[in-house]
This record gives sequence, structure tokens and C-alpha cells, in this order.
Amino acid sequence: MLTIYINGTGCISAQETATGGPLLANLREYDQVKLATVDPDYKQWIDVKQIRRMSRVVKMGVGAANLSLQAAGITMPGAIITGTAYGCLDDTGVFLTKMVNQQEEMLTPTAFIQSTHNTVGGQIALLLGCNGYNNTFVHRGFSFENSLLDATMMLREGSAQHILAGGLDELTQHSYQILSRFGLYKKEPVKTLELLKSPTRGTIAGEGAAFFTLGTTPGENTVAALTGISTLYKPMWEGEVIGHIMKFLEDNACTPNDIDLLVTGRNGDIDQDDIYEEVVEALFPEHPEASFKHLCGEYPTAAGFGMWLANGILADQAVPDAAMFYGKAPRNIKKILLYNHHQGTHHSLILLSHVE
Amino acid sequence: MADLKKQIIEQLNLQEVTPESIGNDEPLFKEGLGLDSIDALELIVLLQQHYNIRIANPEQGPEIFYSIRSMAEFIVAQQTAKA
Repeated sequence: MLTIYINGTGCISAQETATGGPLLANLREYDQVKLATVDPDYKQWIDVKQIRRMSRVVKMGVGAANLSLQAAGITMPGAIITGTAYGCLDDTGVFLTKMVNQQEEMLTPTAFIQSTHNTVGGQIALLLGCNGYNNTFVHRGFSFENSLLDATMMLREGSAQHILAGGLDELTQHSYQILSRFGLYKKEPVKTLELLKSPTRGTIAGEGAAFFTLGTTPGENTVAALTGISTLYKPMWEGEVIGHIMKFLEDNACTPNDIDLLVTGRNGDIDQDDIYEEVVEALFPEHPEASFKHLCGEYPTAAGFGMWLANGILADQAVPDAAMFYGKAPRNIKKILLYNHHQGTHHSLILLSHVE
Repeated sequence: MADLKKQIIEQLNLQEVTPESIGNDEPLFKEGLGLDSIDALELIVLLQQHYNIRIANPEQGPEIFYSIRSMAEFIVAQQTAKA
């Protein structure tokens, strides 16, 4: 089977991930429940006449996509595949609010045009002049994973040489209020570096964009291959998750012993982190473990940040202290398993291998 | 015309543009401010919202929206006709 290489990555998150340099060198620590992205100067990629119509999620998507392509040394991908659960929420809110306030009269076109889920993928294509395959997956907690899956299938069938794939979601005032009512977030501010030891329910809200330029041949800066990806929807019990991971590793010619580092999507919610404990105890009891949601917050496509972090760990062959959850990272990191779940319903596995 | 410029900047979210930097006779579309067809729709809504003016004949659009001055003259003419 063809190897899928990660030839470039780009990430915009609550950390300073758009500036390059050593992984998480300028760590941002927060003492709050809502994490917003650290925005780079988007005018480096987007003309001032076009940027005025773009909401934050569009800008962060375009920014992360450009960072990824620049890292890969690619100017024109063969396809653009995006994953987003919430889409362009802010513009949706603007449009719906105007509909109500103006009694469905005199509605302006900009917010409506920009409110669709595929706006980000479309804007990236327009700015690049890319006429290739362009698709957006809106599959809640699997949106990012399914964009990767689509990209790997296209690359393996030879439909494209380079594919830009990624995931993104934004946090708005509206979404934060609504999701808070569902009890997703903590009621009190929490220090992000203490989040994973929190004894209470709820987590911290986040947002971000992560894009990956994938190809079947490695580039000059390639450090990792996307060896496997799998999703599991609504497992009945933890045994089903454990069995799924065993099968996934077997399908990728691995055993738990071959995994040098486990990266988990722990988010500091005592109810949701239970499953990670069960999996670790059953399959990876002595494995070093890193986590990422205390750095970027919880959102449906947060696995994109996790994959960006895992790729960076393989590049540096070291885990930033702030990301380490248990144990000590080995000197030689060859395989990283990223296990994440969103809301206990959407479980995903991403296996990355180091490329020498 | 100063008020109209402010309203246009706000409605179109024009960045790095001040009312002083827009010439009264400068073309709004293509050259000049470089507005496009979506902006034209926004300007039609602006006239309705701020001045309660509806453009009855769409073919008049290029003439009305040529510049700040042409827009201002159209608004004054419509308001005078209503008075």
C-alpha cells in the first residue's frame, strides 16, 4: 500500500503555532474557560480588499492552509478537503440575527454567502486558483478525520499527487452560550496547565485550524507518514474501544509495544477522561503519554491540533514539557498513536510514523 | 457626503479606508475603491436601510453607484421628490 506522507503542516490555535520555531516554545498559559486563537497577520496571505468579508474561521483556515503549503513547498494542491463541525458560525449568527431583527427584510448578502460550511474550502481554492476536487466534511466529531480519510483514499487511487486536508472550527459568543447550557464547559476558570488534573465536570472551550499537505512522495521537510486512521462511533462500552484499537494496530502491522508515544485527547472532564484511563490501563500501562486539549481547548476538530502536535514531536524527537501527561518520552520516537474522542460518541485513531 | 462615506465604510467593512481617503468623484467600482457585485447589493440595502430609497430600475445602478457624488445626488433627488 502506498505510504501517505505529511509534507507540510499549518496550525492556528490558542498557542503561537503560526510562527514556527521549536514546538510550543512560547507557551501560552490561560486561566479561563474560553480559549481563542492567537491570530497571525492574515494580510500576509489575503488581500485587504478580500479580508474584509472574511470571518475569523475563514481567515484561520486560509492562514493554516497557506502555512501548510509553504512548509511543503507546494503552490497548487490537486485537491482541497476540509472538515468542520460548526462551519462559519459567526456569519451564520450575523445572518440569522439580522433575519430576526429586520423581520426578514433588507438582508445583506455577505453574511449569508460566508455562512456555509464550505466557505473555507471555497475561499482557499479561490485564493490559490485551484480548480481541483474540493469537498467539505461536516461530520461533527469526525469532520477532520473524514477529510483525512478522503485524502488518503484519493492519493492511493492516484487521483491527486498533493492534497491539502484539514479541520477547523470557531468558537463564538452564541456557540459558547449554547454549549455551556449543555454542560460542556467548566463553570469556573481553570489554569490550563492544571486542567487535566481537574476533579470537576466540563472542559475548556477552544477553536482552531490545522491543515496538512499530504502526498505519496516525501518532500525535503517531511518527518512523518500518516500510517493509519480509523473512527469508531458510539461504542457501547470501553471494551469495544479497546478491541477497536487492537484491531487498528493489527491492521497497521503493529502491537501496543511498537507505539513509542501515546497522544490522547484528555480534556479535564472527569466523565469524559474515564475512557482514556481504561484504554491506557488495558493497552498502554507503561507507555509515555502526551495530551493536547489543555493547550488548544475542546472543539470537534481538535484532533487536527493533536496531529499537528504529533507531527512536531516526530520532527523534534522530543515532547514539550507542557504536553507531557505521563512518563518520559523516549529518545527515539518512531510511532505515535493519537487517540481522541469528542463527547464520548466520536472516537478516532491516527497513527503517525517517523520518516528518517 | 461625509456621512455617506462613513456609512459605506461601515456597511462594506472597508479596512484601511477613511472617509477622507475616498474622493467624491472617484469611481466606486473596479478602479478607485475596487468594489464588486456583492458590494453593489450591499449598497442597495444601505439605501433602503438609511434613506428608505428603493431602486425601481436596476439598469440605473451603474449610474447611481458610479461615485459618492452620484449616490449623494440620487439620494437628494429621491428625498426631494418625496417631500
